[in-house]
Amino acid sequence: MLLDFDRLGPLRWFLLGVGVLVSLFLLLPVVFIVALSFGDSQWLIFPPPGWTLQWYRVLLTDPGWLDSLLTSVELAVIVMVLAVVMGLFASLALVRGKFRGREVVKGFFLTPMVLPVVVLAVALYAFFLRIGLNGTLVGFVIGHLIIALPFAIIAISNSLESFDTSLEDAALICGASPLQVKLRVTLPAIRLGIFAAAIFSFLASWDEVVVSIFMASPTLQTLPVRIWSTLRQDLTPVIAAASSLLVGLTVVLMLLGLAFKRGKS
Amino acid sequence: MTASFLQIQSLRKTYDQVVAIDEVSLDIRKGEFMTFLGPSGSGKSTTLYIVAGFQSPTGGRVLLDGKPLLAVAPNRRNIGMVFQRYTLFPHLTVGENVAFPLRVRRAPDAQVKAKVDQMLKLVQLVDCRDRMPAQLSGGQQQRVAIARALAYDPPVLLMDEPLSALDKKLREELQLELRRIHQQTGVTILYVTHDQEEALRLSDRIAVFNKGRLEQVGTGEELYANPASRFVASFIGNSNFLPIKVAGVQGSAQAIFPNGKPVSCDSVSRGLNVGDSGMLMLRPEQITIRAQPAGRDGGGLPVTVRDVTYLGDTMHYAVATPWEQEVAVRTSIGAREASLQIGARAWLDWDSVSGKVFPA
Repeated sequence: MLLDFDRLGPLRWFLLGVGVLVSLFLLLPVVFIVALSFGDSQWLIFPPPGWTLQWYRVLLTDPGWLDSLLTSVELAVIVMVLAVVMGLFASLALVRGKFRGREVVKGFFLTPMVLPVVVLAVALYAFFLRIGLNGTLVGFVIGHLIIALPFAIIAISNSLESFDTSLEDAALICGASPLQVKLRVTLPAIRLGIFAAAIFSFLASWDEVVVSIFMASPTLQTLPVRIWSTLRQDLTPVIAAASSLLVGLTVVLMLLGLAFKRGKS
Repeated sequence: MTASFLQIQSLRKTYDQVVAIDEVSLDIRKGEFMTFLGPSGSGKSTTLYIVAGFQSPTGGRVLLDGKPLLAVAPNRRNIGMVFQRYTLFPHLTVGENVAFPLRVRRAPDAQVKAKVDQMLKLVQLVDCRDRMPAQLSGGQQQRVAIARALAYDPPVLLMDEPLSALDKKLREELQLELRRIHQQTGVTILYVTHDQEEALRLSDRIAVFNKGRLEQVGTGEELYANPASRFVASFIGNSNFLPIKVAGVQGSAQAIFPNGKPVSCDSVSRGLNVGDSGMLMLRPEQITIRAQPAGRDGGGLPVTVRDVTYLGDTMHYAVATPWEQEVAVRTSIGAREASLQIGARAWLDWDSVSGKVFPA
């Protein structure tokens, strides 16, 4: 290759430097916030004068923080399950279906990805105000599902498209009923896509903040909303701890997805 | 002759205005290795897919062992099939792939295990039982696919160009293996291919398809020696087609070459009348080439040698007729004449029974 890294001469040190700087630029805020979450200063001083786990203790014992943490997890799990189920059926229709306007429907299903989230949030807020869904778990689920579904559809559609349908023919002629074919051949074959859809839709809900701010009530908030509203009142390091928790779970899920992919291929 | 086991009757399939297969009728005997041979788009695969149940015909019937097959769902037909593409289930081991049809039939574990053993032994892949399909070569994957398709003792095994993705050497190996498996199991096989050599090597009988129609059914020998149409003659083996005009159809028929030279032909297609133009088919090995005029019809057909190729056991000549048509001639090495060099005059002769006349 002409642009082989080893053949770039002195230029490669420059490229390496750029790479390191970009990584630092991306990583430093995260490192900073994680370090602060373990610091024993009340005032988010960096570098921290000493180390402590007390902010995590507050996070996991204070009913307000704990509630919003559990709400976030509950919500993300519900959204994940619904997004995967709906995404699976939608993808089957979009990839396998032969109907007019298929491309249009697909484009429509993916619009939440390009629509400004705040527009979606305002629209949902106005609509839910009429039917009384603001501040309810159902309202949250619907809002997050709209945002998560495109990710699930893309992940599952991609793996369905690369799936060779003659495998289904083979299973059928082997004596499997159409339902058995789907359960025993199609689903296992596209499980990577389903797994990716699950992770992405969980994360889409887990770190969603715009729609959540509109949906939230004083008694029902997600963790990002709680961070946001607490930040406006005081700068307690519990925010750093909560943020680290958000980042931590995200990283774990990403690594899990990566490891799963590696193990299978 | 055994009674027919699989009967295909007046099968017809049209898509919109296009006729994919047209009035295909065929009786297949139990235990027979029947090959559907034809170019792509000739209807051979469509016919196979109708028997499998993946497509439904516009008209006609298929009977298996006397019972109508078309109303049965594909998963209840109990037919085995091996596909052109590799269709092993990627998430199951080789053993589980072979067990799959037995598991969906809820066979007891002991029976499944015994059958998987027997099948893997049949295709000589016992050592690969616990491997994943991705770890196997293409040839091995198709052998596992055969084991899977035979695991439930289907009365008929359908094969849709199963070897076409493999290289030549491997293909020939698997052809031998297929013959062995056929002999060992006695299963009735319907095999689709566009490769005439493969068809000749494997089949008991060959059904030649062309443009959705069945041109001829017979053993390889019958098709080669007595092709029913010009298409069959050109598709199976090499042939020369010399243009003629029919001059008489009584007794030993008479015809005239474009240069006015008369020629007698024993076999003339039905429907050809005096004055019609036709094609005289001659296999390269049926023609004798001489450096001197001799024999009947005034010394044979005079030609000019264009090319001479030494092929070890045979000599291959390309000669030009007076009307500038190239004709291939093959003779045994012992019969060659040293003076037949490029540019030399030569005379072609053949037994009048060997030539066949088809409509032009």
